[in-house]
Amino acid sequence: MGGVTAERRNYKLKVWKQNGPDDSGHFEEIDAKNISPNQSFLEMLDQVNQELIESGKEPITFDHDCREGICGTCSLVINGNPHGPQKQVTTCQLHMRSFASGETIVIEPFRANSFPVVKDLMVDRSAFDHIIQAGGYISIKTGNAVDANSIPVGKEYADMAFNTATCIGCGGCVAACANSSAMLFTSAKISHLGLLPQGQPEHQDRVLNMVNAMDEAGFGNCSNTGACELACPKGISLENIARMNREYAKASLKSRS
Amino acid sequence: MNYLLSSIGRKQLMGISGLIMTGFVGGHMAGNLSMFIGPEAFNSYGHAIVSNKPLLYGTEVVLLLALLTHFVMGIWLTRENKRARKSKYAKPTNGDKSAQFASKSMIYHGIALLGFIIWHLCTFKFGNHYDVTYDGVMMRDLFTLMVEKFNQPLYAAGYVVLMLTVGVHLSHGFSSSFQSLGFNHPRYTPKIKTLSFLYATVVALGFLSMPIYIYLVY
Amino acid sequence: MNKLDSQVPSGSLDGLWTQHKFDMKLVNPANRRKFEVIVVGTGLAGASAAATLAEQGYKVKTFTFHDSPRRAHSIAAQGGINAAKNYQNDGDSVFRLFYDTVKGGDFRSREANVYRLAEVSSNIIDQCVAQGVPFAREYGGTLTNRSFGGAQVSRTFYARGQTGQQLLIGAYQAMSKQIANHSIENHVRKEMLDLVIVDGRARGIVVRDLTTGKLEKHTADAVVLCTGGYGNVFYLSTNAMNSNATAAWRCHRRGAYFANPCYTQIHPTCIPQSGEGQSKLTLMSESLRNDGRVWVPKDQGDKRHPREISDAERDYYLERVYPSFGNLAPRDVASRQAKYRVDEGKGVGETGVAVFLDFADAIKRYGEQKAHEGASQEEIIKLGKEVVSEKYGNLFQIYQQITGENPYEEPMRIYPAVHYTMGGLWVDYHLQSTIPGLFVAGEANFSDHGANRLGASALMQGLADGYFVIPYTVGNYLGSTKLDPVDTNNDAFKATEDETQSRINKLIGVKGSKSVDHFHKELGKIMWEYVGMARDKKGLEKTIEEIPKLREAFWNDVLIPGDPQAMNQELEKAGRVADFLELGELMARDALTREESCGGHFRSEYQTEDGEAKRDDNNFCHVAAWEWKGENQAQDRHREELTFENVKLATRSYK
Repeated sequence: MGGVTAERRNYKLKVWKQNGPDDSGHFEEIDAKNISPNQSFLEMLDQVNQELIESGKEPITFDHDCREGICGTCSLVINGNPHGPQKQVTTCQLHMRSFASGETIVIEPFRANSFPVVKDLMVDRSAFDHIIQAGGYISIKTGNAVDANSIPVGKEYADMAFNTATCIGCGGCVAACANSSAMLFTSAKISHLGLLPQGQPEHQDRVLNMVNAMDEAGFGNCSNTGACELACPKGISLENIARMNREYAKASLKSRS
Repeated sequence: MNYLLSSIGRKQLMGISGLIMTGFVGGHMAGNLSMFIGPEAFNSYGHAIVSNKPLLYGTEVVLLLALLTHFVMGIWLTRENKRARKSKYAKPTNGDKSAQFASKSMIYHGIALLGFIIWHLCTFKFGNHYDVTYDGVMMRDLFTLMVEKFNQPLYAAGYVVLMLTVGVHLSHGFSSSFQSLGFNHPRYTPKIKTLSFLYATVVALGFLSMPIYIYLVY
Repeated sequence: MNKLDSQVPSGSLDGLWTQHKFDMKLVNPANRRKFEVIVVGTGLAGASAAATLAEQGYKVKTFTFHDSPRRAHSIAAQGGINAAKNYQNDGDSVFRLFYDTVKGGDFRSREANVYRLAEVSSNIIDQCVAQGVPFAREYGGTLTNRSFGGAQVSRTFYARGQTGQQLLIGAYQAMSKQIANHSIENHVRKEMLDLVIVDGRARGIVVRDLTTGKLEKHTADAVVLCTGGYGNVFYLSTNAMNSNATAAWRCHRRGAYFANPCYTQIHPTCIPQSGEGQSKLTLMSESLRNDGRVWVPKDQGDKRHPREISDAERDYYLERVYPSFGNLAPRDVASRQAKYRVDEGKGVGETGVAVFLDFADAIKRYGEQKAHEGASQEEIIKLGKEVVSEKYGNLFQIYQQITGENPYEEPMRIYPAVHYTMGGLWVDYHLQSTIPGLFVAGEANFSDHGANRLGASALMQGLADGYFVIPYTVGNYLGSTKLDPVDTNNDAFKATEDETQSRINKLIGVKGSKSVDHFHKELGKIMWEYVGMARDKKGLEKTIEEIPKLREAFWNDVLIPGDPQAMNQELEKAGRVADFLELGELMARDALTREESCGGHFRSEYQTEDGEAKRDDNNFCHVAAWEWKGENQAQDRHREELTFENVKLATRSYK
């Protein structure tokens, strides 16, 4: 039966260590020994950290929380790939059976100027929050809503909106993009709210303000290479960037200020 | 104005100016095919164009603006993109590996093509001037100039290489313009990509057939 | 004075909350700006409370230890959210939702709170849809529902398997708007380490900036705690890695009573532990039990491949023990039965701590239904797999991702895991704790689920508290209480900060030899063994003996490398585990003194002949609320009697 194994593997890790945003950072070679193929990637790091701690060394700092692929906290660029080599899988759901024993694994933080390194593999993604704060919401005061079924939404549009709403805000798209562009993230939210009738009243301002905030945060531009789509653990499509481009042009034309 | 400064606005200006030039090169190539009919057809075609001053100047102004916009925006966006990530990854990403060569190297062939355009204008627009007369009308003999140039092996070879570059640039640029301008549709986008590739191939083949033909036949 | 005054207004349940909203004090809109409210935790309850209070005009400060409010563990809720909308026209009503919730909680919750919860449930759905939460819809554009455990109506709204995510993002966005217009001052990567009490009232908090390691003091006129549950006391649970009880526990130590700590919910269908290195357990939706058959080999230690074990050699124990409910026996029952099999040595898999959930029969059955006459066996299986994939495809994928096994080809291995804690800080009808000015919402309080929570009710409670209760009751408190101004130079603030700092110094100063995780795992083993699915007097007494020893070992031998004045994840964990080491003991003590079985609390001594939970309504129809009496002192147990005027106390039966 698969998964039932006493097999243990060893790896050579090349881990990025960086003591804060102003430190230049460097790679450190660390051995990962006695790893079960059933362990997740982060559990492998847990184990490495336990050994580091008990030998009096500082453990590797990395962001993680739910370990179910939904909170968007975990990051890491593994062998050059945000969230590792597999498609539509977050780092926390990646398992060591995907890595051959003896392999050298290069682990780096998400690299983007708008995501400064906090420590080692942990980065600051608050630029994403600022983009949402610029307009990624529908203004409705608590208690003012009409009955839910008085706003019908056709299933096709509801499904399209849902597909963009699955974004977990992990920043994998920015990490993957050669230009560190945040367009997939921004366009996913613009699409989610813009495809729904509830989102229409603020749509024009939302598009203008969110794109503005995205530009101000210092993210790069889109070169339509599709790297973001490929890295997105939730499979969010490039189509959303086109929608944002279109809506932005329309909103710019129509804007009265 | 904000629009023109925004990331998306500038991308869209890239797209629009690119599409203008894309349209132009197609027409240019088609017109030049008249050389296969013979020197008289080719020279008469050229004469007809330069005789229509409003059309000529109008086109030249539009193209110059498009070229300038495309160039300025291209450099500006690229510089910004480089600045958005200062530290590089130790290993290439999957996205990097799977992205088409053309999409990642637009700035490089773009600059090469700018050089080519200048060279091309120097040679043909502002270069040696020969005259020829057909039916009593005196006109510039561009055909002779072309034969003179394309008979130099290095010149012809350089031309062929650059025309391939045009093809590469167009193959991504054409379909990418649609994405930048906001046109992406699950049914049409794959067709636009195919069309983009075909168009780029036809334009490149059309153009590079000329120096090869001249080199071999004349 | 009895501190446990529930403050429930008198009158009939219907309309009670509406009348009470009118009776409560208001704060003049122009004055609201002068009041500062601190909200700790930005999950469903925290984000919704913060957004609403800010909308009303209060000055709100939010705190989360995450890097963004959007990361809170509410995001991981899968199934859905209940609401008494009756959109399916199947006879649902506020009263029915109220009744189901009280009964599901095994009659250990407060009627008035639960009724209010059921009443506002419909408003939650309206609010969320207006915010753009993409709930599942019919082709006609209206909302659709699904059924969930413990109810005979379809009242669960859902967004595929990501309902929690969509609701949290909605609340996060509402909050983001208020951050943008400066009504909320949002603090991220800051962890609350203590509550500051001035003149007997909650007036602020001490937090540690996790990035710089610096302590900060923040003042407020009221503090709202929305910091979730304490399931991680078991080390392995379905909670997120960083979920912890520190904020609540620190408040408890400052005088907030802790209610019903022994009520923990164990979910029967989780992916089992696969080895020592495992860090958490992943839930598989309970809907799988609709089609899967649960079994173990009849012989102990039978390690053959499951497909080599013939039907006659298998024990489909749920079908055997509960012939009428079979594989659909309720959560607690199914969990306990799995434990019994493993205890008998019949567990499966590498570790022997799992049972099989087998879809082979379902695949065959569905295949036969779909296949034309004379179809070959392969065709039938192929068709059957297609049907199963349509229904459970995404769950099968998760399973395969984690275990590397193909559940279409071989049975899944499942085992129960700690999932939710019904207990929490004691609160009255206003969701105010025994410390005036300290309000508690969401999973962090104890109020609505009694001894067992029904599926799809956690999201409902978090949002009900945050959107519709806290904004009114906090306003009432601020409007009716005379609060002198305080600043962070106040002695109480300084003293609390000093205590926090010396605790950090003490942790760092131990410089022992073992990692924090080592102690956490040890604690988890004790808790799971003796305070897990089934508890008895002997085990609980042993726990009460063992945990103080472990606590002492921790404080003598824990090793925290690195700098306390910088990002230090080990230090963060150490503070949390230190608190778990106190909370775990209290859970055991509560379980020991509650000499009955009810909901998630199963005492082996108190069961019916056929192994069902046996409540003792004469002696235990009350809330147990514990009062902190000081370090290493036994806590005092207080009682809030529960009265049931609108539902009849009855025995739950699944026969």
